[in-house]
Amino acid sequence: MTDAWIYGTHGSERTTRLLAELGFSPHRVAANGTLRPPAGGGRAPALAVILADGLEQPSCSELCARLAADESLGEVPVLVALASAGLAEGIGVTEGHELLVEPFTADELQARIARARHAVNGVDHEDIVRVGSLEMNLATYQVAIGGRPVDFTYMEYELLKFLVTHPRRVFSREALLSRVWGYDYYGGARTVDVHVRRVRAKLGSENAARIKTVRSVGYRWEGT
Amino acid sequence: MTDPPPRPYGAGVTGREQFVLRTVEERGVRFIRLWFVDVLGLLKSFSIPVSELESALSDGVGLDGSSLEGASRQREHDVIAYPDPRTFQVLPWKPDSLVARMFCDVRQPDDGPFGGDSRATLRRVLEQAAGLGYTMQVGCEVEFFIFGALGSNGDVPTTLDDGAYFDLTPLDVGSDFRRRTIEYLEQMGIPVKASHHEVAPSQHEIQLAHTDALSMADAVTTFRIAVKEAAHELGAYATFMPKPLAAHPGSGMHMHISLFEGDRNAFHTDAEESLSPTGRAFLAGVLAHARDMTAVTNQWINSYRRLATGFEAPEFVSWTRRGAAALVRVPSRRPGRAAGARFELRSPDPSCNTYMVLALVLAAGLRGIERGYELQAESIDDEPNGAPRLPLDLREATDLFDDSELARETLGDRLCDVFVANKRRELADERRTVTEFDRSRYLRLL
Repeated sequence: MTDAWIYGTHGSERTTRLLAELGFSPHRVAANGTLRPPAGGGRAPALAVILADGLEQPSCSELCARLAADESLGEVPVLVALASAGLAEGIGVTEGHELLVEPFTADELQARIARARHAVNGVDHEDIVRVGSLEMNLATYQVAIGGRPVDFTYMEYELLKFLVTHPRRVFSREALLSRVWGYDYYGGARTVDVHVRRVRAKLGSENAARIKTVRSVGYRWEGT
Repeated sequence: MTDPPPRPYGAGVTGREQFVLRTVEERGVRFIRLWFVDVLGLLKSFSIPVSELESALSDGVGLDGSSLEGASRQREHDVIAYPDPRTFQVLPWKPDSLVARMFCDVRQPDDGPFGGDSRATLRRVLEQAAGLGYTMQVGCEVEFFIFGALGSNGDVPTTLDDGAYFDLTPLDVGSDFRRRTIEYLEQMGIPVKASHHEVAPSQHEIQLAHTDALSMADAVTTFRIAVKEAAHELGAYATFMPKPLAAHPGSGMHMHISLFEGDRNAFHTDAEESLSPTGRAFLAGVLAHARDMTAVTNQWINSYRRLATGFEAPEFVSWTRRGAAALVRVPSRRPGRAAGARFELRSPDPSCNTYMVLALVLAAGLRGIERGYELQAESIDDEPNGAPRLPLDLREATDLFDDSELARETLGDRLCDVFVANKRRELADERRTVTEFDRSRYLRLL
């Protein structure tokens, strides 16, 4: 789940190394206009890094637009890295969710990633998401409501985590099945409804109401 | 986008195992209970300390396979239990010393399937159905009694209240108990649709929201222990015995069955009938094999005392839309509620092996679809309308089951043989027993 995809070639070796040091599994995406790396492209990554310097086909803004429009990559946090010499031209500075200026240190990269994930997924620098009385620790798989631990099964946890880190967007049952369950599910499309009911029962009324049923479409998490 | 190949069910994935290991550490869980069910659906459990968890997840835990075969410990043979991390759940009724459970897949030491594992058998049948594009959804209404602490074996238990159907009074001890039970169930991921006091004193019903068949069978297994724990904490005793009190209705477990093709309920129809052609053929299959599977839906000598005495318990292989006594009730069609199309199987009792019952219901229904069975005429006003009778007792039911080609094909010879041997021992034990009936009828007369 901690995959990071890298687009562009400028400084890609160094970026790959820094990401690996921060605990990500970096995958480089070929510069032929594809959106996904040749291996490990089945699941959405935790983040995408676009090395915009020298990127032409597709351009940085085109790439960002295509990522945002993609069914399963739409809410991946995107960091755009620019060379300091090119900053004055303004190309790419408003793209993505967070800007990196080359050369950047591992500490800066870590901080920028934390900012992008917080902006997009609501995850703070300790991998904790807080929504009202609900606290979800993504590093330890623990969920607490008003400070009291709540015990979820693995799939209940994964479903809640997905919804909580992708707030305000409606997901169809099929999208949730393929993104949360992958190929390992058993009860058909009803599985999603059954698990939502289980998660709501454990969340208690205040937080259960944050999982909105969007009639004949799917579900949406009402985050802050 | 290149899709990863489908993973076989049960193949270990590090994400889940990490979740289990990390949760155990973070929450301070001290013991893990590994759960499996024997051939009668009775829960068996053994505990491992947390230090053994990692190796249990990767290599399984050895145990004696005869413990799954219903107390027939004649030959011991080793099998391996693999805990299923998907079913990892902290038990809510042990707040002081945290204990978690996982259901196990039981396999032969050479990794081959173990025929005595009814849970694995249900999963195999579900996989076959999934290959045809079908998934079965099941909801259960479970009835049971809670009594005051039990005296010696054979005493008539004391009822706790005189609550009547749907009564809600401050004196009803049962409502405390139901609230506690429902909290436990929801913490275990088993949502409850409704609960109420039943017709008989001390009798309760809790309706479990529909889910896929394997989750439902696991839920019923978990339900029985959660209810017993909640009753125990209140100084009472809960029983799923089908007919504990002669003068009052017994406990059933009505099962609401529907079949989905992807997102679509295959039983739904826009026509006047309550069931689609697929639904009618499926139901015809279930009715055609209802007599074969009675030994499993009603697996105890005591089960037949519930079926014998009416109180809405079925006696004939019949179906109805409005009556109360048929084997199957088909609820009226509700326009716009396609997902709700279903039928209600009314014979099972809450002490059945839910895994085996659901495996047989699904196999019988699919056979009805494959072979295009015609649905018999509806029974009106609870008249059997020429429908055959359900087996009268466990002996007749066991003979029918033993000869059932559907049961053998679905469950495998091993599970069938072990089950039949177990039931024949129960019958032999009963044949040798002098009962209250003998004494009250004969002692003075003869």
